[in-house]
Amino acid sequence: MKNVVIAGYCRSPFTPAQKGGLARVRPDDLAAQVVKGLVSKTGINPDDIEDLILGCAFPEGEQGLNVARLIVFLAGLPNTIAGMTLNRFCGSSMQAIHIAAGAIQMNAGEVFICAGLESMSRIPMGGYNNMPNPALYETFPQAYISMGDTAENLSKKYQINRKEQEAFALDSQKKAYAAQQQGRFDEEIIPITAKSVVIDKDGCLRPDSTPEGLAGLNPAFQATGTVTAGTSSPLTDGAAAVLVCSEDYADAHKLPKMARIKSFAVSGCAPEIMGIGPVAATHKALSRAGLKLEDIDIVELNEAFSAQSLAVLKELPIPLSKLNLDGGAIALGHPLGATGARITGKAASLLQRENKRYALATQCIGGGQGIATILEAI
Amino acid sequence: MNIQKVGVIGAGVMGASIAAHITNAGIPVYLLDIVPNDASNRNVIAETAVKKLLDSEPAAFMHKNNARLITTGNIEDNLNWLADADWVIEAVIENPQIKQSLYQKLDAVCKQDCLISSNTSTLPLALLVKDMPDSFKRRFMITHFFNPPRYMRLLELVSSPATDPVFVEAVSRFADIKLGKNCVTCKDTPGFIGNRIGIYWLLYGLLDAIENGITVEQADAVMSAPFGIPKTGIFGLLDLVGLDLIPPILKGMKLALPPQDAFHEVNHLPDIVQKMINEGYTGRKGKGGFYRLNKVDGARIKESINLVTGDYAKSEKADLTAIKDAQKADLQALLSHNDPVAQYAWRALSHTLCYAASLVPEISDDITGIDAAMRDGYNWKFGPFELLDQIGVSWFVDKLKSENRPAPPLLAKNSSLYSTDSGRLTFTDLAGNYHPVQRAEGILLLSDIKQQTKPLLKNGSASLWDIGDGVACLEFHSKMNTLDMDSMAMIDQSIDKVSKEFTALVIHNDAENFSAGANLGLLMKAIHESDWSTVELLIKTGQQTYQGLKYAPFPVVAAPSGLALGGGCEILLHCDAVQAHAELYMGLVEVGVGLIPGWGGCKEYMRRCLQLKRPSGPIPPVVKAFQTIGLASVSKSAFDAKELLYLGANDSITMNKDRLLADAKTKALALSKDYAPPKPYLYPMPGKTAKVLLDMGIKAFHLIGKATDYDVIVSGQLAHVLSGGESDFTAPLTEDDILALELEAFLALVKQPGTLARLDHMLKTGKPLRN
Repeated sequence: MKNVVIAGYCRSPFTPAQKGGLARVRPDDLAAQVVKGLVSKTGINPDDIEDLILGCAFPEGEQGLNVARLIVFLAGLPNTIAGMTLNRFCGSSMQAIHIAAGAIQMNAGEVFICAGLESMSRIPMGGYNNMPNPALYETFPQAYISMGDTAENLSKKYQINRKEQEAFALDSQKKAYAAQQQGRFDEEIIPITAKSVVIDKDGCLRPDSTPEGLAGLNPAFQATGTVTAGTSSPLTDGAAAVLVCSEDYADAHKLPKMARIKSFAVSGCAPEIMGIGPVAATHKALSRAGLKLEDIDIVELNEAFSAQSLAVLKELPIPLSKLNLDGGAIALGHPLGATGARITGKAASLLQRENKRYALATQCIGGGQGIATILEAI
Repeated sequence: MNIQKVGVIGAGVMGASIAAHITNAGIPVYLLDIVPNDASNRNVIAETAVKKLLDSEPAAFMHKNNARLITTGNIEDNLNWLADADWVIEAVIENPQIKQSLYQKLDAVCKQDCLISSNTSTLPLALLVKDMPDSFKRRFMITHFFNPPRYMRLLELVSSPATDPVFVEAVSRFADIKLGKNCVTCKDTPGFIGNRIGIYWLLYGLLDAIENGITVEQADAVMSAPFGIPKTGIFGLLDLVGLDLIPPILKGMKLALPPQDAFHEVNHLPDIVQKMINEGYTGRKGKGGFYRLNKVDGARIKESINLVTGDYAKSEKADLTAIKDAQKADLQALLSHNDPVAQYAWRALSHTLCYAASLVPEISDDITGIDAAMRDGYNWKFGPFELLDQIGVSWFVDKLKSENRPAPPLLAKNSSLYSTDSGRLTFTDLAGNYHPVQRAEGILLLSDIKQQTKPLLKNGSASLWDIGDGVACLEFHSKMNTLDMDSMAMIDQSIDKVSKEFTALVIHNDAENFSAGANLGLLMKAIHESDWSTVELLIKTGQQTYQGLKYAPFPVVAAPSGLALGGGCEILLHCDAVQAHAELYMGLVEVGVGLIPGWGGCKEYMRRCLQLKRPSGPIPPVVKAFQTIGLASVSKSAFDAKELLYLGANDSITMNKDRLLADAKTKALALSKDYAPPKPYLYPMPGKTAKVLLDMGIKAFHLIGKATDYDVIVSGQLAHVLSGGESDFTAPLTEDDILALELEAFLALVKQPGTLARLDHMLKTGKPLRN
C-alpha cells in the first residue's frame, strides 16, 4: 500500500467572531486565500491536485453551495481540480485528511488539498434555519444538546472543579502567548488581506488572563454550573489547509515530507458527554497503528472546553509536557470546521520541530463523536 | 424659508438635548462648544455630550441612529460650518457679554436668511440685541425650550419689533410640525410665561411649607394629582430642576421685575436650601435634594429631608385620609377643608392663580397662552385659568374676599374664563368679552369636536364621533382606555354605522395613553370562578371584532399616542394603517401577565415577520416573532416601533400630537379612494420543528437563570402558537388556524396558577411578577 504524507500546512490567523479582524471577511474569500497560500508555499503543481476537500460545520450562506468548488475558482486554481464540502462538525477538516488518505491508498489520486473553514461571525452556530426533528427530540433530546451543557456534564461526571478548569485554561493561554511572542506561529499563518487591511496575527489570545480574573467570571451556560467563557473555546473565524499526497509523489517532486499518516479512526459516544469522544477514537487509532499511548510523543488535543479536555486526560493519561505545546483552542480559538486541519498540520510540524517520532491529533465532535489521527515522523 | 440644517452652540444639558431632538425630526445638526484649556481633543465637550445623550434617561433620541446626524465640533475651528445652517440656536452660559460676542461672530459667518436664536431663560431679548446691528436684529429671536426638549412640548417664542416675521413664521412652523412643539408667543418679560408663574408657584409652595410645618411628602401629595399636577409636586420638581439653579433665577428676577410685582414676596432663598446647596445637595444630579436615595445595608431607601431640622429620614407616604372625602367630592371641598395640608394647598394654589391672573396682559395678551405654557412647560393637566374654571371662579373670588384678599381684575369680572359659542371654545379678555380659541391649520382636536357635537354612538367605554368629510372617529374612554366588552360592542356598532354612512374610520383618543390593553379585571373574575366559557367568549369576541375591523369595507386608520399595550397594540396591528404620534410606546406585553396575545396579535405580528423582505427561511421569522413577543418588547418611540416591526411601511409618524387626528384623517381619506379590504394571508409555518428549536432556546435561558420557571411554561405556549402548532410549512395555515392556536394557548395558560399569580400581582402593583 502507498504511504500517505502531509506535505504542507498553513492557516489564516484565528480571530474572535464579531469583533475580530476577520468578522467582515467572507468565509469563501478567507479560505481561498489560505488555499492559495498553501499552493504557493508548497510549490505544488496545481495541475496534479485531484480534489479540494473542505470541512465546514455550518455549510450555508456565504460558506454554502459546495463552497469547496467555489474556493477552487476563487483561489484561481485550474478547473480540473474537483471540490467537495463535507461536514463532521468540529471533526470536518480532519475527516478531509482521512478521505484523502483513503483515496490515495485506493489509487484514486495523488495530491489533495484538505482544508477547513468556519466564519462564526457570519454564519450563526446552528445555522440560519435549524429545524430539529420533533420526534427525535421527544425520545432522545440529547441528540440536540448544547455544547456547553455537555461540558457541564463532564465536569460533574469526572468531578472536575472550576479551579482545575481555570488552571488548564490559564496554561493554554500562557503557552499560546509564549508561542506568539516567539514567532512560532509566523510560519503557519497566511496573512489575510481584506479591503487593503492585512490581518496576520491571532486575535483570540487573552495574555492578560489571571486566576482572579477567571474566578470572577459568571457561568456561561448554567447558573449553578462551573463552565465560563474563560474555560470555553471562543467563537472564532478562521480557515486552515493541509497538503496531503502519496509519499512517492512527494519524493518525485521533492516536496517536504512533514509526517506520514500512520492510522486514524472515528468513534461514537453518548451525545450528552460528546467531549469524551477522543478517548475511544484514540484507542482505535492506537490499536490500528500498533502503538500504545506511551509511544506518543506529541499530542494535539482540541480544547473545546477545559472540563472536556481534563475529562479526556483522566481517561488518556497524557503528560502535560506532550500536550498542545503552542496552546490550544481555549486560547487560539476554535473555528469549528477549520480546527481539524489546524491540529493535524500542527502535530506534523511539531514532530519536525521537536524532532519526535509519533504524534496524535484528536478532537471531540458534537452529537457524540471522536476523531483521531496518528502521525509518524519520516 | 425651509429649515434643513441646524446649528446648536453650547453642548450643555440643554444645548445637547435640543440638538438630539432636532435629529429626531431627521434634521442634521452641528453641535459646537468651546475648546477647554489644554484639551488634547478640541471637540471633547461636544463629543462627550453626545455620548451622554445616548445613555440619557428618559432617552433624548427617538432612535439611537439619530446620534449620527449630529456633527460635533468647536467654536474656534468649526464656526464656518454654520454657513449652510438655516437656524442657529445659542445655548451658552447666561452671560450677555459672552452671548453678544458670539452673536457678532455668528452674524459674520451665517448666511443672511439664517435665523439666530437664543435659548436663554433669564435674559431679556432687548438686552441681548442692544447695540447689535439692525441686520442682526431682523433675524434674531428667543426660542426657549423646556427640559427635556424631547418630552416637554412648550416652546416659548419671543421676538422684537425688529424681527422679520418671516423668521418667526418659519421657526414656528418647523417647531410645530417637525419638532412637535406647542409654540407660545411671549412678551419680552422676565421668565417669559412658564417660569414666571412656575417658579413663583414652586417658591410659594416651598416657603409656605417651611413656615407652616408641612412636610415635603405632604406638600407633594396634595400639590400634585388632586390638581392635575405631576406627582413630583413642589419638592420633587425642585430636586429635578436642581436647587443650584434657583439662586441665579431669583437674582435675575429681583433685578428685572418692577418693585410692585408680587414675585418679590416669594423672592428669597430659605436658609435650609442655601445650606443644602453648599453641602452639595442640589437635587437629583447632586447628592440628593429634598429627597435622596440612601444606601442602608445594601438596600436603597428613599429618604426625605425634615424642613425644620435638615435631617433625612425614611420617606413616609403622606397621610391624606382627613381630606380623602373632600378630595373625592370636588376641588372646592378640598380647598376649603380645615386640615392643615388642605389649607396649605389653598394658600399655594390661590396665590399662584391670582399671580397668573394679575399678569394678563403683561406677559401674554390672552389667557390661552398662559394655560398652554403651564400645560406644556410644567406638565400641568390644566392651565391656571382652566383650573380656576374647574374650581369655580365666583367661589374662588368669594373665598378671597372672605380672607380680605383682593381679586385680580380678570377674575372679578368673569364667572367663567372659558365658554362655548355654538360649540366653539371661547375665552375671555380683561374686558369680559369672549373670543374663539384659534387652532392652527392642520390641527384637529377631538376635544373640540366633543364640545361642538354629540356622539353618533356611545357607551361606557367608547364613543363614535363625526369628524367631518365622511370620516368617523372611534374614541376609547374607559379607565386607562382598557378594552372590555363595551369597547368590542362599540367597535362592532361602529363598523356597521361607518359601512352605511361614512367612507373611513379613524381610531383615536386624546388621553395620555391610547390604551393600556384588555381589562384584566373581567378576566380575573372569570378565572377566579373557573368560568372558562366566559374566558373563551372574551377571546373569541376580541378576535372576531378585530377581524371585523380588518376586513371592514372601509379603511381604518389608527392614531395612537402614548402607551398601546396588549389588546391596545393588537387593535393597531389590525388597522389598514397607523398614523402614530412619535411618542408611541407600543408592545405585545401579554407574557408579563402569564398570557399570550389572544386577540390576533400573534397572527398579525407573525405576518409582519413572514413578509419581511430579507433572505431567510422557515425559521428566522418565527424566531423574530418569538423574541419580540417573548420579551414583551415595548417600543421606545414610533421610530423604534418600526424597527420592532410593530409598525410597517404603510404607517407614518406625526411629531405634534395636536396634528395627529388631522394627519390620520388625511391618510384615511387617501386610502378610501378605490378601497378594497386586505386579502387574507396564508401562513407557511414550520410547525413542531420550530417549537422544538425554541424550546431548546428557552431551556438554555432557564439553565443560565435568565428565564424563570413559569417563563418556561408561558414561552412554551407562545412557541407553540408562533410555530404554527402541528402544521408543515408546505401546507400554509389560514388566519383562522392561527386564531384557534391563540385561543388554545390562552385557555391553557389561564388555568394555571402561575398565570393567576402574575395577573394578581399586576393588578395590585402595576408591575410584572417574575415567578
